Amino acid sequence: MHRYILTRLFYAFISLMLLSVTIFCMVRITGDPVVLMADPGAKEEDLQALRKELGLDRTYIEQYIIFISKLARGDFGKSFMYRVPVLELYLQRLPASVELAGAAMAISIVLGIPLGIFSAVRVNTWLDSFSNVFANLGLAMPSFWLGIMLMLIFAVNLQWLPVQGSGTYKHIIMPAVALGLVFSAANMRLARSAMLEVLGGEYIKLARIKGLPERLVILKHAFKNAIIPVLTFACINFALIMNGAVVVESIFAWPGIGRLLYEGISSRDFPVVQTTVLLGGVMIIMVNLVVDLLYAYIDPRIRYGQ
Amino acid sequence: MSSSSGAHTKLTRRQLIQGTLGGATGLVVWRWPWRVAHAAAQPSGQLTVGVHVTLSPTWFDPAETPGIITPFMFLYALHDALVKPMPGNTLTPSLAESWSENPNGLTYEFLLRSGLTFHNGDAVTTEDVKFSFLRYKGTSAREFKERVRDVEIVDARRVRFHLHEPWPDFMTFYGTPATGAGWIVPKKYVEKVGDDGFKQQPIGAGPYKFVSQEAGIKAVCEAYDKYWRKVPAVKRLVFTGVPEETTRVAMLKRQEADITFGLGGALAEDVRRDTTLKLEPVHPPAVWFIYFAEQWDPKSPWHDQRVRLAANYAIDKQAINDAETLGLSKLTGSTIPREFDYALPIEPYAYDPVKAKQLLKEAGYPNGFDAGDLTPNPPFYSYAEGAANFLAAVGIKAKVRTVERATFFTSWREKKLQNLILGASGAPGNTPVRLDAFVTKGGSYAYGSYPDIDELLTKQAKERDRGKREALLHEIQRLMHAKAMYLPLFEPAFLCASGARVAYSGLGKVPQFAYAGPYEDIQLKT
Repeated sequence: MHRYILTRLFYAFISLMLLSVTIFCMVRITGDPVVLMADPGAKEEDLQALRKELGLDRTYIEQYIIFISKLARGDFGKSFMYRVPVLELYLQRLPASVELAGAAMAISIVLGIPLGIFSAVRVNTWLDSFSNVFANLGLAMPSFWLGIMLMLIFAVNLQWLPVQGSGTYKHIIMPAVALGLVFSAANMRLARSAMLEVLGGEYIKLARIKGLPERLVILKHAFKNAIIPVLTFACINFALIMNGAVVVESIFAWPGIGRLLYEGISSRDFPVVQTTVLLGGVMIIMVNLVVDLLYAYIDPRIRYGQ
Repeated sequence: MSSSSGAHTKLTRRQLIQGTLGGATGLVVWRWPWRVAHAAAQPSGQLTVGVHVTLSPTWFDPAETPGIITPFMFLYALHDALVKPMPGNTLTPSLAESWSENPNGLTYEFLLRSGLTFHNGDAVTTEDVKFSFLRYKGTSAREFKERVRDVEIVDARRVRFHLHEPWPDFMTFYGTPATGAGWIVPKKYVEKVGDDGFKQQPIGAGPYKFVSQEAGIKAVCEAYDKYWRKVPAVKRLVFTGVPEETTRVAMLKRQEADITFGLGGALAEDVRRDTTLKLEPVHPPAVWFIYFAEQWDPKSPWHDQRVRLAANYAIDKQAINDAETLGLSKLTGSTIPREFDYALPIEPYAYDPVKAKQLLKEAGYPNGFDAGDLTPNPPFYSYAEGAANFLAAVGIKAKVRTVERATFFTSWREKKLQNLILGASGAPGNTPVRLDAFVTKGGSYAYGSYPDIDELLTKQAKERDRGKREALLHEIQRLMHAKAMYLPLFEPAFLCASGARVAYSGLGKVPQFAYAGPYEDIQLKT
């Protein structure tokens, strides 16, 4: 087990190094941030002075070495736009993102997984049809459209919820629903197909022949096995929502990491983009590791290193 | 004697009642106006501004003001300048009680008001004025360094700027949003906290003091009750960065925001239909235009003035205005905003596609020609689509090419954009400042120049007689129009709105300022 974890951590380190090179190069392909920061009438000398101030006058290799050596000391650099350490900015926005991702994930699990299971158990009934319609609608509706519709109905017309911002449970409802519905549709589809596959298994037939009550067959034997891919998907979704809820966070002015990334990209704030992407990568790698470890708990047949 | 004395001391019941009532009335009369005035002077309530962009802490520091108007949204709240535009006067003495130029044009002297204080209680001194000027590194800082020889502190209230040679535009640069050099920061405090510390917790001499910020998201300010001009009517001022336009309008309707800026035509129409809201278009000093980048290339069709004129006649500017800004923009025949000093108002070429075709025929293009790319300033792609359709109707076939914002400005500055450019400038200043960037030989956004115009530009830069200088600058603008150097579309309406709680928004009241102000004048309904 320990060896397995160490091996995974080694691969994670390699992945992160590759990610750091990729993101470092990608942000620089977008162009020169100084052009956006400087006055429209600025002379070349002014631009050069600003490049020097930001360390952008050095070669890419020099910039990368500085970036990595600072990173090794836990220094993610200073935002070009906000003039504060990026890690400080990231940590300021992190709680809001965790809150939103948690709420969205809760909605997606509470709605999606039971619907998927019922749909599989009652396949080809009205419940299955309803679940499929729900899934198709959820997947087809863009979250920005859904967000705006929710805003118009519940904030502007009914005046039940605040339009934007954060701080109370009322603030989180609309962005969490806008994000969660899409993922609940995906969860539903995945849970349904996984459950259908498991229900066709020989051991399920054996359990039924043995005369086990149907509830026990479904919950104890089928559900536990079907949940593995759904759990993996849900956990990765959590990391994705945390880092990629750009559109919904922008619509609801939610002060999360997605919005920070969007602002960073718009203003070519290299340190902000590098940090949010790298830490997002760290999060996804960690989530994957945790999910792999959870497998062993859920399914004892899975053994590491074998 | 005694009787006399008794007469003085005896108090009848009537006298007692009269005296009591009189005294009470007197007391009320004496106290009442003070109480009313005092009550009126107490700031109250909260005004939330839904800002159309992400808030940047660099905007809290005048020293880093770029050549755009956005930072002034915060400077007008937190800080104050020696001279700045205020309603009805572009150069209004503010922290300076008065200012004067000596006869040879080499010295400008400013007299500070007495009793001025920063939000931390420190006095505003001439030392702060000098310090603020010297630390300034925003737009045109290089120009200041080259032209200003010395800043002399004469005494506690008097400060003099000595120039190397006369600079007729000194006050435009120092006293308008053309730069942020005239905005005063507290020397002691800045030296104590450093430049970055100052951006996180700025202290100024403006009507509102800084309370807190969430970087990029929100900034909270509170009325400064010792502001020299007046005590602000609204106690709390909250700026919230909400780049999504639909959200800002929803906030306005829900009264989560009281003022917002930068609406597009469709949502502005929605605001206009809502009786509880007020659509308040502002006209910042900007002009939208199409630039003929190839007019100096003899091989290009655009080299022919008749072709450029044809393009000017081909476009129905009012139709684009109606579609994009509800018809609230002002059509113009010049790239210089009417509001600018030395601007010459020029009527646009009328929409006349028949004349346009005739001019193309005379120029040797009876069937039109392929005009290549029309690259618009992002994200105003629909303006370009409209213009390209009108050009196509007379035979000028232009393809709209969209690029990202930074690429657009870099390419324009590096003269890499080809064919037609749909651009705009909203940089504050005056006519010579605008001409310098867009018309003068070597200007940041000029692909070429005309010798006659260049000669006049050089002459006007040295001319200190206002009348003569105005004549020269007007002549330049006439020449630009006659040569059809540009295709001006309109001076755009910046569509802003105020909500149901606002009694007086101040939107568009300050010259050259696109937002609400002065903040101390804004009032909420009681």
